[in-house]
Amino acid sequence: MSKLRDLQCGIGRAVLGQDEASIVSAIMGDGLDPAARLNIHRNHYISSLGEALKATYPVACRLVDERFFAYAASEYIKISPPRRVCLFEYGEGFPDFLAAFPACASLVYLADVARLEWLINAALHATAQAPIEASDLGHLDSADYPRLVFALQPSLRFIDSAWPIDRIWHLNRPDAAEVGAIDLAAGGCCLEIRQSGEDVVFRPLESGEFALRAALANGRTLEAAVEAALAQDPMFEVALALRHLFGEGLVVGYTLAPPPNPVQG
Amino acid sequence: MSDRPNLAAQPMPEKTGIGLRAPHMAEIMARRPAVGWLEVHAENYMGQGPAFRALERLRPDYPISLHGVGLSLGSTDGIDDAHLARLKRLADGLDPFLISEHLSWSAIEGVYLNDLMPLPYTEETLDLVVEHVDFVQARLGRRILVENPSAYLRFRHSPIPEAEFLAALVARSGCGLLCDINNIYVSGRNLGFDPIEYLAALPAAAIGEFHLAGHQANPVGDSVILIDDHGSAVADAVWALHGEALRRIGRRPALVEWDSRLPALDLLMAEADKADRLSKTVTPETDDVQAA
Repeated sequence: MSKLRDLQCGIGRAVLGQDEASIVSAIMGDGLDPAARLNIHRNHYISSLGEALKATYPVACRLVDERFFAYAASEYIKISPPRRVCLFEYGEGFPDFLAAFPACASLVYLADVARLEWLINAALHATAQAPIEASDLGHLDSADYPRLVFALQPSLRFIDSAWPIDRIWHLNRPDAAEVGAIDLAAGGCCLEIRQSGEDVVFRPLESGEFALRAALANGRTLEAAVEAALAQDPMFEVALALRHLFGEGLVVGYTLAPPPNPVQG
Repeated sequence: MSDRPNLAAQPMPEKTGIGLRAPHMAEIMARRPAVGWLEVHAENYMGQGPAFRALERLRPDYPISLHGVGLSLGSTDGIDDAHLARLKRLADGLDPFLISEHLSWSAIEGVYLNDLMPLPYTEETLDLVVEHVDFVQARLGRRILVENPSAYLRFRHSPIPEAEFLAALVARSGCGLLCDINNIYVSGRNLGFDPIEYLAALPAAAIGEFHLAGHQANPVGDSVILIDDHGSAVADAVWALHGEALRRIGRRPALVEWDSRLPALDLLMAEADKADRLSKTVTPETDDVQAA
């Protein structure tokens, strides 16, 4: 291995806090402990990634307070260093980390609030595509409708939680003006997240509509999505729900899945 | 490097530019203030959402410079093809008048350290950085500027002085230089070299941009280390060094960067005005920009 490779691997391990002893001899002290110079980079690594997580998870930060958040973030950063360059793509695993982090186990809703924040962040960096109209499907044989697979707006995300995370989020935004109590026993919610203009918005959906849209977003056929919706709500109005889906500009394309039971010749 | 496009096919802006940061975006969109140009961190606009679309809408009104922080030009991991492809897509979409990166490394063994890590200046490092700059310039189809880093440490085995290393990189790759005045000052204080000698050793004609920013003095043990945190006004000593750079090198597109403890937009613009006023008081000894 090259000398530069050895050096960079050694510095990298030291910055990650794994082994410093083997590399400090390569660094000039120039009047300081070489380890103290290396520590400037280690501190920057932890603090800058902590700031990046705080930018992505501002509500989770407010729920636990800044000092605890910085501590939790530093523990996460130790076990999950970034593998990609863009910081808005860092921290997808942080909600799962919080869910398993014993120090905040009493905040049962925290991980789901963080999951919502990750989806908001993901929606914020997705592209917006030109929607198609329902009339663009006019040439299809209605017998093929069950096999439709819709491409939806890339920013669409869905989350369901056993906790009222929409209300928790609204009351704990960094700029929240409203103060109010949250009744954890009030029940959970099913949320749809998406870009709207230059913002990201989210709103609760009824269980049938949530099941339909989430299934379509997962690439399921229209038939499978409708079955999922009807399983949640036997009174689910399919035609109305599809009009809303197109009317909100959420469908950007479609394909037809292969027929499930080809006719035998 | 006659086969490469010019450093800038677009005219060089006369007025000083500012680093565009997300908290200022809405105000800049609304006011369209009279700043010379805008520089963004390329990585912050590699998504496809509202931030990128806002920058696209500013593009007709301002020359844009893409300043990358993630190419990791000095890493033995090599250049991340996917990341370079995203930079190219951004550059193709925005038609920036400058694209710059750093003489540093950030990724090792697949981990991104989110920092501009220092390099030992050896022949091995020079070969590697030249190879990577060649690769990046070929992929982007244009020349890039490489910025001198701010340094907090140096390596025991680093026989080539940094300014000579940059000169050799320019000679071998045909890249240009982004001369960060604050970084020269910070590194000079932290590592004990003379910033004027450093300036004198840089290939002036290859310099295509100046950066100006604030730094912070941090006590470490019994000493003080200057941290390049871009979190305050440009220090008096850095203005003085910039005056010296203008005299020796000549005028170039100049940029004020401010990242942490971001001030009101008007204060940032006042710093840019200060750079413009300084530029008018200095008579350059030379004003040769390297021909493409």
